[in-house]
Parts: sequence; structure tokens; C-alpha cells
Amino acid sequence: MIELVLRFLIVGALAFGGGGAALPLVERLTVQETGWLTHDQFAVGVGLSYATPGPVLVLAAFVGQHVGGVAGAAAASLAVFAVPVALAGFAAQLLERFRSVAWLGQFGRFAAAAAIGLLGVTLVSFIRPVLALEPLLLLGAAVVALADWRGVSPVVLIAAAACIGAGAAALPTW
Amino acid sequence: MPETQPPGLAGPSLPRLCGIFLVIGAVAFGGLGATVRLLQRELAEKRGWLKPADIGEAMAFTKPLPGSTGVQIVTFLGWRLARWPGALLATAAYLLPSLALMTAAAAGFAALPDAPWVQGAVTGVLVAVVGLLATAIWRLARSEAGTPILCGVLAAAMAAGFFVNAVFVVVAAGLFGIALQRIRARAPHD
Repeated sequence: MIELVLRFLIVGALAFGGGGAALPLVERLTVQETGWLTHDQFAVGVGLSYATPGPVLVLAAFVGQHVGGVAGAAAASLAVFAVPVALAGFAAQLLERFRSVAWLGQFGRFAAAAAIGLLGVTLVSFIRPVLALEPLLLLGAAVVALADWRGVSPVVLIAAAACIGAGAAALPTW
Repeated sequence: MPETQPPGLAGPSLPRLCGIFLVIGAVAFGGLGATVRLLQRELAEKRGWLKPADIGEAMAFTKPLPGSTGVQIVTFLGWRLARWPGALLATAAYLLPSLALMTAAAAGFAALPDAPWVQGAVTGVLVAVVGLLATAIWRLARSEAGTPILCGVLAAAMAAGFFVNAVFVVVAAGLFGIALQRIRARAPHD
């Protein structure tokens, strides 16, 4: 259990560039080095972590559950998010204190523009599987964007999209 | 009714904060994708607790740090709303639904059946996230990239993001901004 916590503390502290970037490291620590999971189990875990809401690194809960039950899941989850969450909190605190420093504001404005641009990369990574499945589905995405723009709640839109998708797939082939 | 807080004062009550972040965490499919749009809508547009610029700032200062950016944005904004109690409670509430689901799935209680309707639902959500993320980017770009130079930085970062680690892209952009400011400040004297 201590090893579990230590290993996931390291994953959290080294996940530069976001959770997805840390997946190869998680695989090395949990499959190759410790044998906690088999390759197939790891693949199932990654699939689940993308299918569930929230960050990809909830994968830690999956690994933790396999190693030490619910307590393991809780311990691994706390460990993997501890360092990033502490850093983010301190970042907010420091920024508040040094709000008047001009170069910090300038850094923030340009870094924010870059971070928004990087969301475009994320968007493309979501569009790719949709295109591979059925390009016409992008019309559905356009409808969602339009509805969002007109003020429909994103929560409602996500729920509706899940229901429509499930309903369409449950219908006999047409 | 939208509640607006005077700047600098305590934000929403902690139980309300928890409730909202629980809902966001339960539907934040696609990690960062849906999260950004949900935060914009629930915290800035609908309730006016935060400015749109706060979300851009949260992304700017958490992206260079290690860890899941979606979670870190939540922590950052939670801190801004109610200092450390807000940061920790918002993060815990945001993570609780997915962690519970994941633990249950790993224990075999909630194994995703391979039924077609499950695949269909996952596809539906993916399609929705594409639409929501597109509007999130559009709104952020309009409010945070108001000058031609910032638009250029945004476009360049997107292009570079396909080849270079996100951390370098964001830090390089920030440093470029500082350098530009220095050069401009010096220019009239030359």
C-alpha cells in the first residue's frame, strides 16, 4: 500500500502537460515494474478512464482497487492528485498576492492565449474518432454547439446526446 | 436568480459550491473538454461568481504545472471563490463522481457492458463534447485573445501543440509576452 501511494505521488508530480501525457508512465509502474495489472487489465482501465467523466488519471482508482480494494482506490487517488492540486492552489494564492506585478500579468495573458490554442489540439483529438466513425456525426456536434450558444445547459446537452446515442444504437440496423 | 459577489469578498456558500462541482464532475466527460465549458457556464455566465478571464488565467497558470489540467483549473477557481476551503472542497466534489464510478467499475460492480447501446451513449457524449468544446474555445478566444498578437499566439500554440509538449508551448508564449513588453518599453528611447 505504501508503494502504491509513493508510485502514484510520483505519477502526479511528473504528469507535465496533463493526465494523458502520464499514461505511459502509469503503464510502466503498474504493468512492467510491479505486475499489479496485466496488459489487458491496463487497457480496460484506460478505456474506462476515458469513458467516465473527469480526468484520465482517475485510472489511479482503478489500479488502487485492484491492489488494495476500496482503501487502495482511495489511497491511490489521493496520492495521484495531491501534488497537482496543492500546486494549483498555491499558484492561485501566489497570483493573488503578486497581482500587481506587471510582468506576471503579461505572462498570464500570453500563456492564456497559448493554453486556449492548445484546447484546439484537444478538440482535434475528439474530432478524429468521430470522423473515423461517421463524418455526418459532426452535424450533431454543430447542433450541440448551436444549442449551447442559444443558452441550453451543457449538462442537459450531454445527457440528451448520451440518450440519443444509446437509442440510435439500440434500434435494429437500418 | 444570478447572484453577484462584490469582488474580494467571500464567494458562494461552501455547500452550494460543493453541489455545483458535484454536478460538473458527474458530467465532465472528455476531461478538460467538457469541464472548461461547464465552468464557464455555471460559474461565470449563469452565476457571475467569476469573470471569463479567470478561466483563461486558471488555464495559463496550471498548464505549466504537472498534473491533470482539468482538476487543477477546478482547484485554482475553487481557491479564487473561497480560498483553501473552496479549493479543496471544489476539487473533492469534482472528483467524487468519477472516482466512485471508477472504483465500482474496477471492483466489477459496474462493468460497462459491451452492449451496443452503451457504445452508442459513449459516441453521443463524444459528439456533444466536440460541440461544447468548440463553443468553449470560441468564447475564450473572443474574451482573452482580443489583440492581433494574442490571436497569433493562440494560432501558433495550436499548431505547435501537435508536435511539442504543452508545458513548453505555454511557458514559451508567456516568456514571449514578457520579452515583447520589455522591447516595447525600451523602444521610444532608442
